[in-house]
Amino acid sequence: MKIMVTVKRVIDPYAKVRPLSDGSGVDTTGVKFDANPFDEIAVEEAVRQKEKNPVIEIVAVSLGGTECEEQLRKALAMGADKAVLIESSENYDTLAVAEEFVALVKAESPDLVLMGKQSTDGDNNQVGQMMAALLGWPQATFASKLELADGTARVTRETDTGEETLEMNLPAIVTTDLRLNEPRYIALPGIIKARSKPLEKRPPSSTATSRVKTVKVEAVPARSAGKKVGSVDELVAELSARGLF
Amino acid sequence: MASLESQSIPATGCSFLQGAPASAFAPEDFSSDERLMVQMAEQFSQKEILPNLDRMDAQEEGLVPTIVQHAGALGFCGPDTSADFGGLGLGKNLAARILEYLSLNASFSVTIGITSGISQVGLQLFGSRELQEKYLPPLCSGEHIGAYCLSEPNSGTDSLSLSTRADQHGGKWVLNGTKMWISNAKWANQFLVMAKVGGEKISAFLVERDFPGVSISREEHKMGLKGSSTARVMLENAEVPLENMVYEEGRGHIVAFNALNLGRFKLSSMSIGPARQAMTHASEYALDRKQFGQSIGRFGLIEQKFAKMAALFYAAESAIYRTGALIDSAFESGHAQYPDDRIKGNIRGAEEYSVECSICKVFSTEAEGQIVDECLQVYGGYGFTEEFPIARIYRDCRVSRIYEGTNEINRFFIADRLLRRMRAGTVIFGPGDGFIHDLCGEACALVSNLENPHQAVLGALADLAILTYVEQSARLRVSRNPAAFGQLHAVFCNWANAEAARAYQLISGNPVSLPAPAAVDLGAIAGLVYEKRGPVN
Repeated sequence: MKIMVTVKRVIDPYAKVRPLSDGSGVDTTGVKFDANPFDEIAVEEAVRQKEKNPVIEIVAVSLGGTECEEQLRKALAMGADKAVLIESSENYDTLAVAEEFVALVKAESPDLVLMGKQSTDGDNNQVGQMMAALLGWPQATFASKLELADGTARVTRETDTGEETLEMNLPAIVTTDLRLNEPRYIALPGIIKARSKPLEKRPPSSTATSRVKTVKVEAVPARSAGKKVGSVDELVAELSARGLF
Repeated sequence: MASLESQSIPATGCSFLQGAPASAFAPEDFSSDERLMVQMAEQFSQKEILPNLDRMDAQEEGLVPTIVQHAGALGFCGPDTSADFGGLGLGKNLAARILEYLSLNASFSVTIGITSGISQVGLQLFGSRELQEKYLPPLCSGEHIGAYCLSEPNSGTDSLSLSTRADQHGGKWVLNGTKMWISNAKWANQFLVMAKVGGEKISAFLVERDFPGVSISREEHKMGLKGSSTARVMLENAEVPLENMVYEEGRGHIVAFNALNLGRFKLSSMSIGPARQAMTHASEYALDRKQFGQSIGRFGLIEQKFAKMAALFYAAESAIYRTGALIDSAFESGHAQYPDDRIKGNIRGAEEYSVECSICKVFSTEAEGQIVDECLQVYGGYGFTEEFPIARIYRDCRVSRIYEGTNEINRFFIADRLLRRMRAGTVIFGPGDGFIHDLCGEACALVSNLENPHQAVLGALADLAILTYVEQSARLRVSRNPAAFGQLHAVFCNWANAEAARAYQLISGNPVSLPAPAAVDLGAIAGLVYEKRGPVN
């Protein structure tokens, strides 16, 4: 059994980001990068499944420049067996990313693709769903529990109305939510071992065609000062003056 | 400067006095997987240590040994010990960086710093293979905790005056004496003990806690580091197997002093860990606390404090990790020089940069003291209460300037070594490496002509050497992030130039005019500290 896990390189989710002065994107000078936290949960889940069933092989995959090797090595240190980097410095929109990963799925033939429900930089929450559509595979998003049995996956997902449990045949796509698990500490010997695990780089399957164009990236406007009101009547008056009541 | 960079400056101890090398290692140069190890150390501190400080300070039974075991399982207890004996075989520089981030709390820092450091290094460098195989693996795994026993009630800084005796009786060593200020004593399973064979020849012994005649006194009632253990180790006819002598009879001082050289280097990184944590707390407070209708962090005098803290931190960090890389290279060249004599190679590695180790120890612990003191000031009255985290850090940090060799004996050592090397002709000052370096060269020439210089003069000379090395290290690091680091270096120089002038004036008796201060934007630097919630790096 093979699990493919995606690992996206993102700006440290705790760092303060600044837009570039021309509004074309985010200023990355001096900014730290890390693996997308939702993807780390996916890697952790794959490793836990492997601990239960040692025949599982885990392939960590990423798309981007050679610097993404850092995040793939982290996945290898956590316990992935090998890594594949689709090396490209082009800009990809979500559909283009999904198409690249679908091409990789066809080459690697995993039984399960585990991925973060979204990345903390783009916050799109689309690639997993698009891959399922392109592959014609069943999907379960926002997983908070995953059980694998012979040829099937049982996934519990959190919805607005409560927990929902789905069962589906493999191969399938599962995207992970925060409560699925808490990623482990990576032991230092694991980091040393990861240095010698295989990491394959391959070119993208086709030229990136971005159908979505970033128009402008702006900082969130600073919050203006509030106003103190003396009574409920005054509050209602203020709100209706702003068309809010 | 350009001409100096093209000269090749030999990589030997004190060569910084000749001028700046073309480049020096900086923390930014650790590889990505090395940085991942450091990130794990930070995570471990955040999740396992910082939430438990009250329980640790209350000396909750069994808590610290359990945390050490957890740390050991992750590889934190033997990073620079050979993989043959359960360690990871990493370099000393990376091990120090990992230790810095395990040191966000000073009590745990001492516990892990000693069990992973000075309790192992004597065995690592000088132990027989049999002793290494027996005693290093349980320390590296965290199953055992180690301790190092040199000081005695009447033998502190004058460590060679120790009076613990070892005598051979009935096929065993029999040890008698009291060892004082022994960190980890309460938890330690094994002790590296210095004693004099026949009352004369200093020798090192590996002593297990369970050997007959070994006992531990009650805990010392300390001002800080309450979550660490400090007690006396009593040896009353303690029986130690003959093979547990580490290295040779009468050569224990070589074991002890080389362990201390590396210990001082490690203590430097251990002392900036709490300084980092203090800056995190104080910057959060400065942003949160409002007076006169705004965050106090936006007031100029508070910005000035954070800018100076950031500069001192940056400078200490630059010197420490430059030194660690030099130490690693000295071990490499030592082993290349003596391929058939492991111990000789090790001595070269541990001794070559002993002056730089002392420089790092003095500068980093004093930077820690200044940073923590100013962080407390940022808190105002609240800083003086135990309701806020800064009071504990303040109490904890005071001992950094005392142990692992007081900063006074370290200053004496720096000046003494410098003068010896100068007289032997192995140190030659090159010109043109800046204001502080020039003053240091002139001061050295003046002092070397003095018959019997006052210790205050030697201390001032040491200050000049310290400032020279640290300023140079800070300057060599600027290229990694010119905008931010250039400002930090400038703030550092504005302070350090005045300190250097003061030291020079004490030696020469003549006034010195200072170079014009560099233009710095204190608000911008403080802004970086607030953004990072800690040092700028």
